[in-house]
Amino acid sequence: MSDHGYTQGRSHIWTSETIRDIHAKAELGRYQIRGFSTFRKFPSWDDLVFLPAVMTRLPLEGYREHCETKTVIGGGKPDLVARPLELDIPVYLTSMSFGALGANAKMALGKGFTAAGSASSTGEGGMLDEERAAASKLIYQMTPSRYGLDLEHLRKADAIEVALGQGAKPGTGGLLLGMKISEKVAKMRSLPPGVDQRSCVRHPDFLGADDLQVKLEELREATDYQVPIFLKLAACRVEFDIKIAVKTGCDAILLDGAEGATAAAPEYQLDNCGIPLIASIRTARRAIEDLGMSGKVQLVVSGGIRNGVDVAKCLALGADAVAIGTSALMALGCNSIQYEDDYAALGTAPGACHHCHTGRCPVGITTQDPVLEARLDPEEGGRRVANFLRATMMELTGVAKSVGKKNVHNLEPEDLRATSLEASAFAGVPLAGVEWTVGPELFGGGR
Amino acid sequence: MSEVITAPVLLDADDGHRLNRRMRDLVDAGTRAITVTNPRSRHNLGVGQHGPVTITFAGSVGYYSGGLNNGAEIIIERSAGWGTGEAMSAGRIEVRGTCALGTGASMRGGTIVVRGNCGPRTAANMKGGALIVEGNVGYLAGFMTHAGDLIVCGDSGEALGDSLWAGNIWVAGTIAGLGADAKVVETTDEESARIHGLLRAEGIDGTFDFKHVVAEQKLWYFDARDPEAWLRI
Ligand SMILES: Cc1cc2nc3c(=O)[nH]c(=O)nc-3n(C[C@H](O)[C@H](O)[C@H](O)COP(=O)(O)O)c2cc1C
Ligand code: SF4
Repeated sequence: MSDHGYTQGRSHIWTSETIRDIHAKAELGRYQIRGFSTFRKFPSWDDLVFLPAVMTRLPLEGYREHCETKTVIGGGKPDLVARPLELDIPVYLTSMSFGALGANAKMALGKGFTAAGSASSTGEGGMLDEERAAASKLIYQMTPSRYGLDLEHLRKADAIEVALGQGAKPGTGGLLLGMKISEKVAKMRSLPPGVDQRSCVRHPDFLGADDLQVKLEELREATDYQVPIFLKLAACRVEFDIKIAVKTGCDAILLDGAEGATAAAPEYQLDNCGIPLIASIRTARRAIEDLGMSGKVQLVVSGGIRNGVDVAKCLALGADAVAIGTSALMALGCNSIQYEDDYAALGTAPGACHHCHTGRCPVGITTQDPVLEARLDPEEGGRRVANFLRATMMELTGVAKSVGKKNVHNLEPEDLRATSLEASAFAGVPLAGVEWTVGPELFGGGR
Repeated sequence: MSEVITAPVLLDADDGHRLNRRMRDLVDAGTRAITVTNPRSRHNLGVGQHGPVTITFAGSVGYYSGGLNNGAEIIIERSAGWGTGEAMSAGRIEVRGTCALGTGASMRGGTIVVRGNCGPRTAANMKGGALIVEGNVGYLAGFMTHAGDLIVCGDSGEALGDSLWAGNIWVAGTIAGLGADAKVVETTDEESARIHGLLRAEGIDGTFDFKHVVAEQKLWYFDARDPEAWLRI
């Protein structure tokens, strides 16, 4: 097997990839940075299966009957949130910044999620006018760097997300290499054009949960108690992190697993930090329940969600909604078979590209280069994203109906079985066949 | 716009929640002066205000006072907690006592004047405007500042200007230590005149010998600048 000219030998420690990596670092004098998500193999959603209705339950008519997908976030605190985020589907777009993405991609995603009756999010770099116009519901992200933070933009948002962490690089600030800091991106972020932007990880005006509680009240005061406030967390010490997050008074928590993608991150972070989503959802749900806050604080999850059945598995384990990034970019054309010479110039090929960090996205998504960006038509991109979401909902409702649910939010852990020991332990659901859950008694383990 | 009302409106901070909304409504209805008689160090006073109005807090305030200010003049007669004037884009805030952590954090415009001392992380992530401290500032002042002027008439703590992107820090007294990627450069006569002009506008008349701290720009880039090098992954 050849790996960029290297041949895979017999060692499992000194693989051709490891050798190549050391050679590159010896030359460059820095750690490696890339886009996409972890290359580590975690137990995946494929290790869980649904148990559709047979004799103990009645299925719904998969091709005909209605299955409810409506999702409300922030509806649990009517005295604090006048306009909860009402979505037709339990899937919205994660925060991906203008800067990491080009403007055409932002517009296309806004249009696609709007067509599906859902929301998108600004990401780190501030609110782009074109995006606000394209998206009927837009979440405004406030990161520690506070790039482009603007009172009027906060007031134009349909929800506010305070970012405290990201699954791809927990405990680390944003990263955007100079190739993408165009004049416009630099202006929006108050940065010198072309710098390698390495952002702060700590917010400048709060340090702990007690301060954050006051901060959230400030945001509500500034925006007149209109919209819900989310906290975005990376999945790490899930139980305690979630409990403390709930205590801050937020309306929803977005929990981003270690499978979550990035436009650029140090590779050592991508592959070694945080825990996978499949191991986090039940713990997160239990933490919210322990505090008696289910229904008052919503749990949204993200990281590596590929299709409607993955969505169904997340909901069954306890999520109220999911957010997707990479699969929406793929719907736009990421890794599609076009412009193959340009993939080759990056040293990659359609299906294998993880080069968002370079700003040379062959299909015009993660770039600020006008020539590349022109390859993405916002209308056509929006149509593709809407189609993808429609298909995703057909899968989600299809599987829910086969399990006998009239509402996708009625999916539950009991509907799932694991096909591997690890998945059983991580997801807290019984191992298929033996009806025994690996792990603590909490989730029925040890029976 | 309705009739302009210049006589101060007295507000009682004990009088329930959502005082900020009431102040904005008063301004929209023509009020130009508001005094909050009993701030009692409450948090989030004077948040998200716009001008034209002068809002006076007759006492001390808690966290985030004047946060996200968009054009109001805010006077705090005593001291303020964390994040005073954070993310403000326009207007003026005067604190007659001292300020705690994160004063002017990520502010983008307008002026903040603190007559006393400021705690740590003053002007962290500042993106514009002027922040004048008559006293001293704590550690990590000007952390990751992008633009604007942080002017300190007294002394600065450790790690001043750590990871500065751009912008200017001016310190008249001693600097306990510079942060990563910050350096002191000579202050030109024109710059000194500009800074003294900003001070005089705030009623600070002395003559100061400012040390000018700027980014060394070594953290602007990774060492390897060859774009092709990013493909080796
Ligand atoms: C191109 C790109 C840009 C991103 N920008 C941001 C950002 O600005 N802020 C943030 O919190 N997360 C950012 N993320 C992470 C996503 O919000 C999200 O956590 C992740 O993509 C979810 O995983 P998935 O892509 O597998 O669905 C970005 C991800 C990508 C792929
Ligand atoms: S095709 Fe574009 S968006 Fe997809 S991985 Fe490559 S650079 Fe990133």
